[in-house]
Amino acid sequence: MKELFYRLFVERKEKYWWMNLLVPVTSIVIALIVGAIFIWSTGRDPFLAYKLLFNASGLVPGPYWKSSFTEMLLSSSLFIATGLAFAIAARSGLFSIGAEGQFTVGAITAAYFGYAKPFAALPTIIHLTIILLMVMLAGGLWGFVAGYLRAKKGINEVIVTIMLNWIAFHLIEGWLVTGPMAADVSTGVISGTPSVSPTARLPIILHNTRLNIGILIMIAVIIIIWFLLYKTTFGFEIRAMGHTAVWGMEASRVQGININKRIMQVMLISGAIAALGGSFITLGINFHYPPVADSGYGFDGIAVALIGQNEPFGILFSGILIGALRTGATAVQIAHIPKTFPSIIEGLIVAFIALQELIRYLLFKLVKTKRTAQTEGGLTQ
Amino acid sequence: MEALAVKNIVKKFPNVLANDNVSLSIEKGEIFAIVGENGAGKSTLMKIVYGLYTPNSGEIFVFGNKEDIKNSHDAIKLKIGMVHQEFMLIPRFTVTENIVLGDEPKKGVVFDYKRAVLEVKELSEKFGLKINPTEKVENLSVGIQQRVEILKILRRGAEILILDEPTAVLTPQETEELFKTLNALKQNGKTIIFISHKLGEVMEIADRVAVMRRGKVQGVVNKPDTSEKELAKMMVGRDVVLEVPQVKVEKGKVVFSVSGLTVKNTRGIIGLKNVSFEVYSGEIVGIAGVEGNGQAELVNAILGFLKPINGKIYMGMEEMKFITPYNMRTRGMSYITEDRKRRGLVLPFKARENVIMGQHSLYPFSNKGILNNQAIDEFVTKKLEEFDVRPPNGYIKAESFSGGNQQKIILAREMSMKHSFLLASQPTRGLDVGATEFVYKILVEEKKKSKGVLLISLELSEIMGLSDRILVLYGGEIVGEVMPSETTEEEIGLMMLGLKRKERVEQ
Repeated sequence: MKELFYRLFVERKEKYWWMNLLVPVTSIVIALIVGAIFIWSTGRDPFLAYKLLFNASGLVPGPYWKSSFTEMLLSSSLFIATGLAFAIAARSGLFSIGAEGQFTVGAITAAYFGYAKPFAALPTIIHLTIILLMVMLAGGLWGFVAGYLRAKKGINEVIVTIMLNWIAFHLIEGWLVTGPMAADVSTGVISGTPSVSPTARLPIILHNTRLNIGILIMIAVIIIIWFLLYKTTFGFEIRAMGHTAVWGMEASRVQGININKRIMQVMLISGAIAALGGSFITLGINFHYPPVADSGYGFDGIAVALIGQNEPFGILFSGILIGALRTGATAVQIAHIPKTFPSIIEGLIVAFIALQELIRYLLFKLVKTKRTAQTEGGLTQ
Repeated sequence: MEALAVKNIVKKFPNVLANDNVSLSIEKGEIFAIVGENGAGKSTLMKIVYGLYTPNSGEIFVFGNKEDIKNSHDAIKLKIGMVHQEFMLIPRFTVTENIVLGDEPKKGVVFDYKRAVLEVKELSEKFGLKINPTEKVENLSVGIQQRVEILKILRRGAEILILDEPTAVLTPQETEELFKTLNALKQNGKTIIFISHKLGEVMEIADRVAVMRRGKVQGVVNKPDTSEKELAKMMVGRDVVLEVPQVKVEKGKVVFSVSGLTVKNTRGIIGLKNVSFEVYSGEIVGIAGVEGNGQAELVNAILGFLKPINGKIYMGMEEMKFITPYNMRTRGMSYITEDRKRRGLVLPFKARENVIMGQHSLYPFSNKGILNNQAIDEFVTKKLEEFDVRPPNGYIKAESFSGGNQQKIILAREMSMKHSFLLASQPTRGLDVGATEFVYKILVEEKKKSKGVLLISLELSEIMGLSDRILVLYGGEIVGEVMPSETTEEEIGLMMLGLKRKERVEQ
């Protein structure tokens, strides 16, 4: 088991490799404790709140577990997508905050190819394949624009991705959804785009729930990205780029890595993954693009990537964690706590993750004093 | 009178015994040099004295009193000051602001800048360290920045000054200036501890020299009683051969050439003017010159980091149209850099990853884009042993190796790449004698293997000893081309300062 763990996550052959797991876990625990202090200071019962939160989150078995668990996985798959999109860019030294725009581009593309007439009659498997390919293409293109401008013109990707987010937002919600892609309102059924055809819905994997193959696709993507990062020359190069992204560090370029090409490729991949997440919300949850989309997944992805330490498998767990917090959010209202409270915990976790060097230092100190105490104890015996 | 004494200092790091029972005694008013290879424990010892490390055991005496130095505040109180290798100055602040930072003269609660400027002026006059107190530090050369650092610790009343490899970042002229400063400080009765591995400098400036090797003091000698050779032997533990035996190799084809190269540097100034030369296989072409006379522009143009405004670069007979490191390397260029940390290595990467970088996409290291870890490990183990990297463990991060071993990792990579031309830019900068000897050996081997080598160096002795042909750069121009056998260091020195020109010798 340890061996498997080791090979899956770490691949580092470091002495204190487990620190990379322990640090985020400690951050989460501290965040929960601080969150408890917040609740307690308002005169409410922190234990009750956490009990309600976790019971409804799908993380622990309890009443209605099946439904909360599946709902949790459903939203986790979206967070994992945007988290991975941020992480792969971050690993190559790019700070892409464009997952938000790529996510919505993915969602609208899925809606269009989901209802468009020539495709609607195709069998599910072919229809879905076409949709997902088009989604990744559209999202990839959205990311590629930022990559291209960065590589060829040296324009900062942070600015370009922010602007692309707004372009996507206004293009879709200001024009497409109310204009060319709007559903026929006279039927009076829905607003936004028309519903996708039944053949475009992601197949359900657990009967009587909304859980679909989206989470399986996301797990496959995680494995692919992990393989890409650690087992291929492509990943080797982008990790080298990430390590030398600080100003003045030129080692990866000097050693002959074609940085500009890699930047464009990475942004393409990043955009494709975020868009894939966006398609899941259309094909698995809303079944159309609503007039006003429930957004924010792109920015939450940054938090997910941070908590997951930009490691593909770390993001699997952080995605599940954030998904669980969001799923359990409504339940805390029973303890007279606003349902936005889990967002506070999320923020606290990110804050403590940002302090990870300090936590790492303190943990190391703890380990060391324990070790010395042990050896000294051994000497006296 | 004894200014500083350390007795039986022991400092253990995980896996390393950095200081092994070190005892030294330093007199007031002397310049005391500590020499040793990288990783010999010199810096560790000084950091202990300055309170940055706590020793596992041992005692420190300052002006005869036993002291317990817990942190640098304690050290400053005891009138110990240290100038680190990396300066700790704020570029946007003026000289005065940097010097008084942390101990500002005040008018009530307000910072009294005028008085601070006066204080700095007085200080600089007292010690003869010329400086413009109102200049911003970012506009100063490295040598002057160092002077600011020295003034800063003098203002805190330092009587014992520790300088950790102060000349590593300086040009020869700046080094001269520094030595004048140090002598002036000595006249003022200050005690100076000078850490270095450049033996020539130590012989020039120090009164006494302590040699450290592997955490132990090998001996303390008076300068008049010793020689560079003896010091080198004590440092490395064996005779060091820095004189390279002359090897004659038949000159072959042109492997690299530039013609009419004119380059603007990042500040928009023309740094290289109409430079043309060829490098033949089987020869080492040395480029001599004082730093800042076009060396950086030349290297950056060859790498494609600066686009030449005029001129051409050829690999073999092929004109390079799109110059990128990738294109140059695929045409057969290897590159040893002086800036190991920024250009040579991906520091958080393991040694194994650094060794294969650049050839990672070739068989057997990868096949169809998928890395073959077994082949990489086999290759890296072999290379680390061949190049005597210590420790020979490919799974240690590059940043954890000492400078000399980092350079060996770079050599292992660059030499194992298929190449016909080697660009060696100050390949021994910051290296100790042992590692320098190793680099020389590699360069001569390259020549024997009929590669063309372009050696850019600031060390004249290095250029004289290794090159078959010497080009002298001054103000971005080649002001002379000489054969080492037909010239003297003095003649090249004059050309380096722009006082003499010499026409090209006929090929």
